[in-house]
Amino acid sequence: MSLTSVKEYFTPTGIEEVSELLETHGDSALIVAGGSFVHGLDARDLLTGIEALIDIQNVGLDQVSSDSTGLTIGAMVKFTELQQLDKVQNSAAFGAVRDALTYPPTQIKNVATIGGNIAAACPYFDLPTAVMVLDAVVQARGPGGSRDIELQDFFEDLFQNSLEDNEFVTDLFFPQLPSRSASAFTKLETNANDLAIVNVATRLTLDDSGTCQAARVAVGGGVAETPVRAVSAETLLQGQKISSKLIEQAGVAAQSDLQPMSDHRASAAYRSAIAKTLTQRTLQRAFDRLTGA
Amino acid sequence: MTKPVTLDINGTQHEVDVAPSETLLQVLRNKLRLIGTKRGCDSGGCGCCTVHIDGKAVYSCMAFARSLENRKITTIEGLPKDGQLDPLQTAFIEEGAVQCGYCTCGMIMSAKEFLATADAPDEQQIRHAIAGNLCRCTGYHKIVQAIKVAGDNR
Repeated sequence: MSLTSVKEYFTPTGIEEVSELLETHGDSALIVAGGSFVHGLDARDLLTGIEALIDIQNVGLDQVSSDSTGLTIGAMVKFTELQQLDKVQNSAAFGAVRDALTYPPTQIKNVATIGGNIAAACPYFDLPTAVMVLDAVVQARGPGGSRDIELQDFFEDLFQNSLEDNEFVTDLFFPQLPSRSASAFTKLETNANDLAIVNVATRLTLDDSGTCQAARVAVGGGVAETPVRAVSAETLLQGQKISSKLIEQAGVAAQSDLQPMSDHRASAAYRSAIAKTLTQRTLQRAFDRLTGA
Repeated sequence: MTKPVTLDINGTQHEVDVAPSETLLQVLRNKLRLIGTKRGCDSGGCGCCTVHIDGKAVYSCMAFARSLENRKITTIEGLPKDGQLDPLQTAFIEEGAVQCGYCTCGMIMSAKEFLATADAPDEQQIRHAIAGNLCRCTGYHKIVQAIKVAGDNR
């Protein structure tokens, strides 16, 4: 890493101090969580003019709490710690998060954080796609106090989140989903350290009669500037009994929602075809989790 | 602007002047001459620079040295005890799990954390555990074998 313009490295010990540092350094400051994507940002020339790194590992944002409304996960909770949460290990609803965490290598999981992974607004990351189908909400803190931001509103553009000046991510909130909910995630990559060529997360919530009450399909990895919801696929599933035929149709519908990009890693046509297949497989996996198949 | 930082490396306290964006890898190799830890891709993709921080395998090319005060850092040089190589190091030698040797130290540091929690792992589990380490000679077979032997011989 070069980061030649960086002149200071701060290690604040409370979130008030983080706010004060942001007030002082403004646009020339970068919040560092686990640090595993700082190089990635630098390599893309996104850190020009950054003079201060603000390391938030000691500010107390590593707490996890739950109540009847849902689960709150602190921004600094690492991937390995996420993997050990009871819900992530055992609940069908959190299947997408469980699946997404099987891909990164240990060295990344030991440092990467949920908050950093979301705040980076990188469409090729896995957790953003996975948590999108759980209707996760970003909690941010800034000069005007704290506020909640829906994930779709949080991701604005390529590597661009919707945080205001001097705002930073403190937590992710996962609303409690109805009991018959299951999610799943699948990624196409070329090796363990690869960013997604395409990734897909799905969630199905069924009512007592087995009818689909809510469906979520999210697709990331070079299909758009941000991870996106495949709304036609979701609409198709909603209110229906889930069947193999319906899942097949949902994959085709998801394809119609997407306008993937072509780059040196994959063509648009290839990404489109893969998105269809992964949508079908990932819906099937979520459905299997509900039916115990 | 550099600042003196005290780093606990292999049980020894080192006071080092560290620039704000300097990585642990740069400090280890350039300032402390602990060159067992290798610089490969320098972007968290190859695993050659793997060390332990508080017993957890991390890429030292991505760890800012300034963030590591009061943490326990272990490099490949810290594995031998009382002049005896770590059983994993011995297994790599005996199984011939070294071709050019560039990935070896990182492989061993990854395997070390893995074996600390894995009981009699099978080949697939071992391969998954070293997924964050690349061998440019593609000599994975003997590496996996060496880790298996070290795991079985405990």
